[in-house]
Parts: sequence; structure tokens; C-alpha cells
Amino acid sequence: MDKELERFKSCAEAYGANPRRWPEADRPLHARLALTHEGTAILAAAERTDLFLDVWTAAPARAALAERILDAATEPAPPRRRRGLAWSTAAFAVSAVFGFVIGFTQVQDEPSSELVSQVLVGPAGLPRIGL
Amino acid sequence: MAAVARGDAAAFRRLVERHVGWGVGFVERMVGGRADAEDLVQTAFLRVWQGAAKWQPAAKFSTWFYRVLYNLCIDHFRAHAAPTEELDEEMPDAKPTTEERLVAAQRVDRVRAAIASLPERQRAAIVLCYYQELSQSDAAAMLEVSEGALESLLSRGRAALKREMQSELH
Repeated sequence: MDKELERFKSCAEAYGANPRRWPEADRPLHARLALTHEGTAILAAAERTDLFLDVWTAAPARAALAERILDAATEPAPPRRRRGLAWSTAAFAVSAVFGFVIGFTQVQDEPSSELVSQVLVGPAGLPRIGL
Repeated sequence: MAAVARGDAAAFRRLVERHVGWGVGFVERMVGGRADAEDLVQTAFLRVWQGAAKWQPAAKFSTWFYRVLYNLCIDHFRAHAAPTEELDEEMPDAKPTTEERLVAAQRVDRVRAAIASLPERQRAAIVLCYYQELSQSDAAAMLEVSEGALESLLSRGRAALKREMQSELH
């Protein structure tokens, strides 16, 4: 097989029968050899694979997809700070109450078992903590 | 892209409308299903929107965007053991209305399965050059290979498809 025909065969095997998909530099080769006996056989073999591939046609993208993308890109971020501030405030309040209770019981001469029970463990739990 | 980097939503809309069609076509043929393809294309565009300020105009946007889509396809393959096969959206769950539609759907499934069986880079080469009709230089740039290596990928991929076609006849 001469070099031109070899290159023709390589292009057909890689790019298919249609010269539209061939490298630009090799398209004149397609024009020269396509109608020769050997060229016709080579292109016919390549065309069988082309026809197989052509069966799978892609449907156009739905217009709704573009809108979905735009909505996802431009939707505002959730208000994280506000939520965090609410949790921080609540945690501070709870800590303040417990802190007050613990501090109050410590400054008394006798532990205020009743106050501790109400805030922390409930009356039933007093024996468990030695009171 | 400069306008998109400034947060220009109208510019981003134009970008999406210009590239979403071929993007879905490319990804669908890579991963084998329309729903997955749409999700991946959406992810790719969100990355464009969020990363537009960092985009360097060293290459065409389309070449760069192909690369983003291709990388997402690779991540998708790694996350899923086998390409997902989806029911044709146009086919109802009930019996097909005509035998011709059933035969056509089966033919598409065979092509889809044959392409899905190719190694990723051969698959990408065929999808880019045959279906997307990218030039050799653009396809090679996208795959980060030489044009000679691209041609080799195409030859091997098409040879594998030919064997697949012939095995069905026997």
C-alpha cells in the first residue's frame, strides 16, 4: 500500500468516512482517493461504524434546564448569622441562669438544697447527690 | 466572562444559553444518561459562576468548559461502578405503542452500551470528534494530548466499536 493510501486508511479509521471530520490538511487526500477502488472499500468500512454511531442522536437541551441553572446560581445564601445569633443568645441565657444558681448557693452558709433541686435535679434526685 | 466575573446575571444567562445545548450532548454521551448529564452540566455552570473571577483567558471558553465537563464526568465514573442506564424518557412504562419505536430504542441502547464500554479517553475522543465535531486541535487541547495521540485514541475506539458491532451479528 503506498503512503498516500496508508494515510487515507488511517484517517478513515480514526475520523470516519465524512471528510468534514478529517484534519484539514488531509481533506485533499480524501478528494483524490475517495472514488478509487481501494478508497471506496476503505470508506465503506468506515461508514458502517459511522452509521452505527449516528443511531444515537442527542435530544436538544430543555429550556427548563437553563432556567434551573440560572436559579441555582443566583439564589440567595441562607441567613446563617441570624440563626447563630439566636443560638448564642439562648446559650448565654441558660448559662447565666445556671451561673446565678451555682453562685447563689455557694455564697450561702448552708447549701440551698431546695433551690438546687428545683433548678438542676428535681426533688427526687436530692438523695443521689448527698442532700 | 469578565462580565460574569462582575456578577452580571444577564451575561451569565447568555453564556448558559449559548453552551448548555452542546454541554448536555457531550456529557450525555459520556455518562450514558440524560438526567445525570443535566445534573453535571448544572454543576459545571455553577462552578463557572462561582469561579469566574479566577478564569484566565488563555484558551477559548468552550475548550476550558469542555475540560470542566470532562473532569466532572471522570468524577462521576469514579463515584458510580458502572455507567447508569436510564429508561428512555420518551418511553412510557407501559408497552411501547409500536414495534418500530421499540426497535429504535433498542438500537440506541446498543450504541449507548458500546460507547459506555470504551475506556474513558477513547470514549471522550469519539464523543468530541465524531458527535461534537470539534477540530483535532481543540479536542487534543481538551484531552491534553497531542493530535497524534488523539488520532490513536480515535482509531482504537472505533476499532473496539467495530468489534462490538460484529459480535452482535454472530
